[in-house]
Amino acid sequence: MLDFDLTVNGRRYPVRAEPRKLLSDVLREDCRLTGTHVGCEHGVCGACTVLVDGKPSRACLIYAVQMQDHEITTIEAVAKDGKLTPLQQALHEVHGLQCGFCTAGIVITFEAYLRENPRPTEEQVREVLAGNLCRCTGYHNIVKAILRVANERRDAQA
Amino acid sequence: MRRPKLRHIGAPIPRKEDLRFLTGRGRYVDDIEIPGALHACFVRSPHPHARILSIGMEAAKKSPGVVDIYTGKDLAQWTTPLRMAPPIEGLHPVEMTTLPIDKVRFHGDPVACVIATSRYLAEDAAELVEVDYEPLPAAANLEQALAEGAPKVDESLASNLVSVQRFATGDVQKQKREAFKVVESAFHQGRMTHLPIETRGLAAVWDEGRQHLTVHIGNQVPHPYRSQVAARMRLSESQVTIASPDVGGGFGQKIALYREELTVCAASRQLKRPVRWREDRMENLMAASHAREDSVRTRAAVTKEGRLLGLELEILEDFGAYCFYPANYLARVVAMILTGPYKVRDYAFEVKVALTNKCGNGPMRAPMAITSWVIEGTMDAIARELRLDPLEVRRLNMVETRELPYTMPTGEVIADITPRETLEAAVKAIDYAGFRRRQAAARQEGRHLGLGLCSVVESTTYGSRFYKAAGIPGSGHEAAWLRIEPSGAVNASVGLGATGQGYETAFAQVVADGLGVEPSQVRMQLGNTDVAPYGMGSRGARGGTAGGTAIFLAAREANEKVLAIAAQMLGFDSAEGLHLVDGRIEREILGERVKTDLTLAQVARTAYLDPTALPKGIAPGLDFSKTYDPPPMTYSNAAHACEVELDAETGALKILRYVVAEDCGTVLNPFVVEGQQHGAIAMGLSGALLEHMRYDEHGNNITGSLADYLVATATDLPGFEVIPMHTPSRGNPVGIKGMAEGGVMGAIGVIASAVNDALAPFGVVAERQPLSPDYLLSLLRQT
Amino acid sequence: MKPAPFRYHRPRSLADTLQLLVTLENAKLIAGGQSLGPMMNMRLVQPAELIDLNALAGLDLIAEKDDFLEIGALARHHAVESSTLVKKHCPLLAEAAGTIGHYAIRSRGTLGGSLAHADPAAQLPLVAATLGAEIVVNGKRGERRIAAKDFFVSMMTTALEADEIVVSARFPKAAAGDRHAYLQFSRRTGDFAIVAVAAVLHSRKLRLGIGGAEDKPLVFEDFSAHEDPQAIARKVREAVQPTESPRVPALYREELVEVLVKRAVARCLTSI
Ligand SMILES: Cc1cc2nc3c(=O)[nH]c(=O)nc-3n(C[C@H](O)[C@H](O)[C@H](O)COP(=O)(O)OP(=O)(O)OC[C@H]3O[C@@H](n4cnc5c(N)ncnc54)[C@H](O)[C@@H]3O)c2cc1C
Ligand code: FES
Ligand code: FES
Repeated sequence: MLDFDLTVNGRRYPVRAEPRKLLSDVLREDCRLTGTHVGCEHGVCGACTVLVDGKPSRACLIYAVQMQDHEITTIEAVAKDGKLTPLQQALHEVHGLQCGFCTAGIVITFEAYLRENPRPTEEQVREVLAGNLCRCTGYHNIVKAILRVANERRDAQA
Repeated sequence: MRRPKLRHIGAPIPRKEDLRFLTGRGRYVDDIEIPGALHACFVRSPHPHARILSIGMEAAKKSPGVVDIYTGKDLAQWTTPLRMAPPIEGLHPVEMTTLPIDKVRFHGDPVACVIATSRYLAEDAAELVEVDYEPLPAAANLEQALAEGAPKVDESLASNLVSVQRFATGDVQKQKREAFKVVESAFHQGRMTHLPIETRGLAAVWDEGRQHLTVHIGNQVPHPYRSQVAARMRLSESQVTIASPDVGGGFGQKIALYREELTVCAASRQLKRPVRWREDRMENLMAASHAREDSVRTRAAVTKEGRLLGLELEILEDFGAYCFYPANYLARVVAMILTGPYKVRDYAFEVKVALTNKCGNGPMRAPMAITSWVIEGTMDAIARELRLDPLEVRRLNMVETRELPYTMPTGEVIADITPRETLEAAVKAIDYAGFRRRQAAARQEGRHLGLGLCSVVESTTYGSRFYKAAGIPGSGHEAAWLRIEPSGAVNASVGLGATGQGYETAFAQVVADGLGVEPSQVRMQLGNTDVAPYGMGSRGARGGTAGGTAIFLAAREANEKVLAIAAQMLGFDSAEGLHLVDGRIEREILGERVKTDLTLAQVARTAYLDPTALPKGIAPGLDFSKTYDPPPMTYSNAAHACEVELDAETGALKILRYVVAEDCGTVLNPFVVEGQQHGAIAMGLSGALLEHMRYDEHGNNITGSLADYLVATATDLPGFEVIPMHTPSRGNPVGIKGMAEGGVMGAIGVIASAVNDALAPFGVVAERQPLSPDYLLSLLRQT
Repeated sequence: MKPAPFRYHRPRSLADTLQLLVTLENAKLIAGGQSLGPMMNMRLVQPAELIDLNALAGLDLIAEKDDFLEIGALARHHAVESSTLVKKHCPLLAEAAGTIGHYAIRSRGTLGGSLAHADPAAQLPLVAATLGAEIVVNGKRGERRIAAKDFFVSMMTTALEADEIVVSARFPKAAAGDRHAYLQFSRRTGDFAIVAVAAVLHSRKLRLGIGGAEDKPLVFEDFSAHEDPQAIARKVREAVQPTESPRVPALYREELVEVLVKRAVARCLTSI
């Protein structure tokens, strides 16, 4: 067992865990942030995606002990003061989620991606979204929601 | 019963569920904190088929954190076996213990369960359990399973053929003899698995004081599941609560009581401590439940013009090693509804189901998924062999609107469906006529386009009379409960288990219209068997038809009582002309609606807290229960059309356009219906293009990760163009027909039709799914 | 799917890292963890000691030298793909790096990890081999530079000694007028390639790298740009001997080699 601190969503969490404990498990069990989901534990499904220093990363492929001195952001911190971000709002309004299990990973990935590329094409959106599996929606409405956010930004700039 | 004006049913209301999911505050099983819970991990067979000689647990028991380890022998003392023996002709009874005792039957079969203080420690110990196996030859596929002297998967059976059923009506042989031509087609669908992104899992909490078991588990059918748990643990149904929280997808995988789940329940009772299990993805792929894997053949006797005179069907299904369902049940439905919208009188089928040394099968979203591919593929084959236009062949054989209701050769009755209308709409939207020109032009440039058509008649909702007629035990009814609380708040429930269908929103809309309140005032309380009424749960596409109707009927009854009380409170002799609208009583005077000062909250307060003020004969309280048993079968329909491009050098496929025209009757919430359509089409395309659960020729599972089991990503699927053409059903009080699986059927059929259209100039036909690029190239290589 | 226990080390310097490598038994380096993580979660790999390279400073630099770019072992795929230096001087590398896995995989996976992992279908080993990159490694005998063609030995096996780590790789800069193409065929976006082809046209000479076909990237040099793409493709196809696998028939891989080579060559010849 090791003792170390994690910084998650701007808050420090003292953690006692074996070095092998996955970040996804530590977030869920030790930090009690269960919004990060686990769907495969081998990097494919994307459900566990969190931000590490602002960059989307699979929490199932990181040992929590590696994350000392890094900033982690999870889905719980995406909406500020209970106010949904434009992406979350758009997903709600166009029915971009069903069972909701994949949703956190998708929101996290695209909050980061849209910062890097605020006005992606549909093709680019689909390419990036290919890193998150959703078994319910067929992706159509997720793509629609992301493009809506991108287009709103475009309109706001115009 | 008066039918209210629909104000909320059909409104595009964004879902209530969304907010918690979008902010990471959903509650899936694993999110529920249970202090002191132990963790289970299963030791699984590395062999497809082997005798268990001994299980060495000494080292494992000494491993840190281990509390105990259980085997099949332990479980046999604490639980009863599952006997699958419905009185169905041609189906052999089978039985399985909670964990295997003498032999394992597939690669991944659980042989022991380690209980430890964490999953990490449980996995450490599981590696130390030493099972001594004597490997046996395996039946790794249908051919091996049905060969002379094949190894027997289930030794209690005479052979691996667990079910054989035949049916004939009319005289197909005669039609074949007299036909202009008999067109033969074959269809092979690969093995698949449901792959909910949330795997299986549960937390079992035994309360020794109350002698009560609470099972937190994502489940589609909480009540039937509870009955099973209780029976197999020799408990009464009053000693078991199933609490199904948010569920990360089910698709049919979260219906049966699996052996691992029962083991965890028994372990909790044994240890008098909470025990939880979260299946990992490797287990989920290898050992949860598989689906499909059928080999199908049709022989169609036709006239020169392509009219269908007689049809013969053979299905051979690979059911895997264990029967969690009657083995005939999935394939038989295909045979029952095969002919769909097409007219034919002379029909015969033979459905054979065999056991193999693979993970057991179960129903996966559209258990009858292959149906539309088979019948539409047969239509395409007729057109191909007679050099006719495939659209014309469909038009020629399709039932006319004036011929409805139409009785299929199996006796199934289709009524209130619109196959011609949807087909023509899809054909128009995809520009069938223009396509042929573009296709010809593209071929000149060496590009290979294909257009597919597929009509779907979806059996959505099975009524009790269907089960009775088919000789399957079970009921098709659904139950609803509704309570208006003293404050006027509305709680309601049905026996369904939500797995993403938006029941909390759509059913609130139904209650809103049935009762006369705002949808926001209604809270659906789902999934907990202590609260929900005993209904049959979510399977097929029965949620809307059976559940929606049941809750509508309960809401209507509530409305009547509220109005009766309101009439007295307003000083009228009868409730005639009174309405409850958005929680306020309105009065109709000369056709005009006038609001009164009376609200639902005031009525409710009177009903609970001032019963002496109630009209004579009206009991206190506002609590209602209703059940609804739908007609034997409810059908909805759709027509799919899609355009693909085939890269003839690599075998790669690209879907250029996808159109679906659909009629599912009254729509509760168009967002939800469209979402279900998208999801179903996606699952169909994913299976048709990519998914393949493979075993090698010895029976070893070689699809152990999501890098091997490929499901469609956002770049594999097109945008979907949905054309809503809904016409209410006359057989249902709300006009609902149901949907959610037909998209799978249509997608599987339409993609095959499109690919074969693209392959036409090469003179080859794709008969197999998945339509992988190497398979398509292997066909092109023959040319 | 939880990893077996291990002891964790996070050295701050190269010297400490090398010291740990020599002293610890059954140790494994971890960089991005995007290949090692899945294998450890499946318990296919169970190191007793895990040495985390992520705290080593300066190993993620991308630097321009006279005739090559030096890219640190810890440079993430995403950094490589979006670096203006790489895009300018090694456009083939930037393009190929952008096709690795998914966005989140690329934000964490590293160049050094990919080279050391040596998956026969991976993009970076293929590009390194095709461009004739040098892999810079450091170990108890000091630094050495290994030509990519000698570095990749076979399936997931490299010329790296047990006490060595990959420090960086040197990719020759493209000359003005050079053209390139990168084509891969995979089942889905982000899946490892079934076959990948990298092509470079330099002063009328074509160099072709083939990934996924055999147990390491193959390089074919000195095709003339005047030759017919189809003829080149056929020659390459005849020269490769794909291994049979239950998922992908060898014949299919051969066919893909031919098609992709033909297309890659054509693209080099027509792209401006
Ligand atoms: C879903 C998914 C899809 C992927 N798709 C692709 C793909 O299409 N193409 C592709 O190429 N890759 C793909 N990858 C793998 C990814 O590119 C990895 O990042 C890469 O292969 C390894 O880099 P890493 O930094 O993650 O290494 P790690 O996983 O940390 O290590 C891999 C191996 O290299 C060793 N190692 C790491 N760094 C060094 C070093 N500096 N010196 C010596 N040894 C070292 C480790 O000990 C280990 O044996 C995918 C991964 C996932 C999870
Ligand atoms: S759980 Fe991490 S990618 Fe699937
Ligand atoms: S909404 Fe269910 S997996 Fe995406």
